[in-house]
Amino acid sequence: MIFAFLKIAFRNILRAKRRSLITVSAVGFGLGALIFIWAFVDGAHRQMVENYTSLIAGHIQIHKQGFSQKEQLEMNFSRPEEIIAKLTRLAQVKAVSPRIKAFGLVSSAEHSSIVSIMGIVPQKELSVSRMSDRVKEGKFLEDNKSIVIGERLAKNLNVSLGDKVVIMSQALDGSIASAAYHVNGLLDTGADEIDKGVALITYTAAQELFVMDNKASEIAVRINSAEDARIVSRMIANDLNSPDLEVLAWQDISPMLYQWVEFDNGFIWIIVLVVMIVVAIGILNTVLMGVLERTHEFGILLALGTKRRQVISMVAFESLILGIVGSIAGLGLGCVSSLYYGKAGINLSAFTQALNNFYMDAFIYPRLSFGHVATSLVLVLIISVVVSLYPAYHAANLKPVDAIRSI
Amino acid sequence: MLIKTINLTKTYTIDGDIQTPALRGVDIVIDKGEFVAIAGPSGSGKTSLLNLLGALDTPTSGSIFYEDIDITKIALNALSGFRLTQIGFVFQAYNLINTLTALENVEYIMLLKGVSADIRRKKAVDILARVGLGDYINRFPRHMSGGQQQRVAVARSIAAEPKVVLADEPTANLDSKTAESLIELMKELNAEKGITFIFSTHDKMVMDKAKRLINLHDGKVVS
Ligand SMILES: Nc1ncnc2c1ncn2[C@@H]1O[C@H](COP(=O)(O)OP(=O)(O)OP(=O)(O)O)[C@@H](O)[C@H]1O
Ligand SMILES: [Mg+2]
Repeated sequence: MIFAFLKIAFRNILRAKRRSLITVSAVGFGLGALIFIWAFVDGAHRQMVENYTSLIAGHIQIHKQGFSQKEQLEMNFSRPEEIIAKLTRLAQVKAVSPRIKAFGLVSSAEHSSIVSIMGIVPQKELSVSRMSDRVKEGKFLEDNKSIVIGERLAKNLNVSLGDKVVIMSQALDGSIASAAYHVNGLLDTGADEIDKGVALITYTAAQELFVMDNKASEIAVRINSAEDARIVSRMIANDLNSPDLEVLAWQDISPMLYQWVEFDNGFIWIIVLVVMIVVAIGILNTVLMGVLERTHEFGILLALGTKRRQVISMVAFESLILGIVGSIAGLGLGCVSSLYYGKAGINLSAFTQALNNFYMDAFIYPRLSFGHVATSLVLVLIISVVVSLYPAYHAANLKPVDAIRSI
Repeated sequence: MLIKTINLTKTYTIDGDIQTPALRGVDIVIDKGEFVAIAGPSGSGKTSLLNLLGALDTPTSGSIFYEDIDITKIALNALSGFRLTQIGFVFQAYNLINTLTALENVEYIMLLKGVSADIRRKKAVDILARVGLGDYINRFPRHMSGGQQQRVAVARSIAAEPKVVLADEPTANLDSKTAESLIELMKELNAEKGITFIFSTHDKMVMDKAKRLINLHDGKVVS
């Protein structure tokens, strides 16, 4: 019996070819656009998080408790190698790198500037962050006398590759820390605060300069997937089980980036809503017009003894079929375009200047997520049935005598 | 006795206040196997009466008995089942479901009754052959003449073996020759299968074919 109603629904769809085509297109374009936009936003977020975390921050950072509030040399912890050994045993952890962080004055012959000084282990850092990729001129850190600074900082200090700069600061023991380095490389990250305000030296050089006595300020961790940072950071905190240490995920390290991502994720639901309204109106329009046109026929159907719920299912089937066909089209459209641009990228270079601080790339690569595609699809299918209930009830509640009279 | 109406009245209310009496106390008795025409001038209440007999509308007052059941006491929801099992309908025109072929239109009523697919098909083919449309079973209504469509409607009306077939001016849209052959067909089916037919008409020729004539005038039976 269901089959017969499906058949009638199918034939009614074919009978009004033009109208059905318009509805299918509306559903298809709506769903396709939704899938694409969601993939675009997901791709952009992934890139932003990836860019941010890989530039310097890493996915997770471990400090002495309170370091994030008060970034000072005194906020350090002993025996970083023990912590590193523990971390590398975790399956989710890909790479670990210890760091020393301090503030100091960098001077050339003519100018000076207060910057954030980072002591890093070059080889380890390669697998945690991509600072070395951002060296625009020269090379990354090589020996303990080399320094890598931002391009903008070099301009401010009026130094170039090979020139000598001096770092002055206070060591951990209160003595004056002062040493000379030669500029080995210039960084261009696109992020002003780094390009203007960061100087990199080796971990060993920093140990010596600040008289650290084998203490570290930070351990940066890279894990398998940035999305799991919160979970893994909790695991690490449990594992280390030390109230003296703070374990921060990138979401805590850059609340602004996290809020930006979360805001977008909220905003996308407005787009979802708009698309649903468009789809709903498209289907409602077709089905309602189809029902009104067939008033006489519904009168006959009801007079013959068709039950109201059978009439409802007939109309709902029609809408569901349109929804399914449109969804297949939309699924194809959305996935193919997302996959295509996922490879080719979408050029946003015209906007990146303004967006630099958010670690946006010139090219965005949309990225399909199964969950978001499935959500879009299910919503469209539900909408297509829900929306048909009004015309369906209208048809089912017709009085046969009145309906038959209308031709 | 198959159908009996007692003091049946129907008054339409238009826009909540204008009252149009269409039937003013109709008492008729129709026996099983009768072939009855309801005649009367336009506005005399023929359609109103057939709608009430067909359980498509509710009377203002009075009763309609099918054998010993008063259908005016049946809940509206249950009436669709009553119509399906007890009554066949032929309307004035555009009787058929446009998206179904002649065969499927005849099958439809049996489908609603839950008749199995092969029995349904065989029966529909037989009935269509009986009404002279053996070569047209796979045609859609839009590819059939008005007379052929009415024949399909007659075939459909008897397919579920109802107690009575009600037809409101089934020949009104047909030319006189086609009209005559449709009435002849109904008369033959009435004789063969013993199905009761009640139909309304304006047409003198059609009235003459009826075995019994009920004359309505101003909502009352006059003879
Ligand atoms: N739905 C309705 N609303 C209001 N008045 C109606 C309605 N249907 C019929 N009437 C009125 O009831 C009376 C009887 O109408 P009915 O249609 O039963 O007559 P009829 O004999 O079938 O006429 P015809 O031969 O023209 O079809 C008429 O006065 C008509 O105007
Ligand atoms: Mg009439």
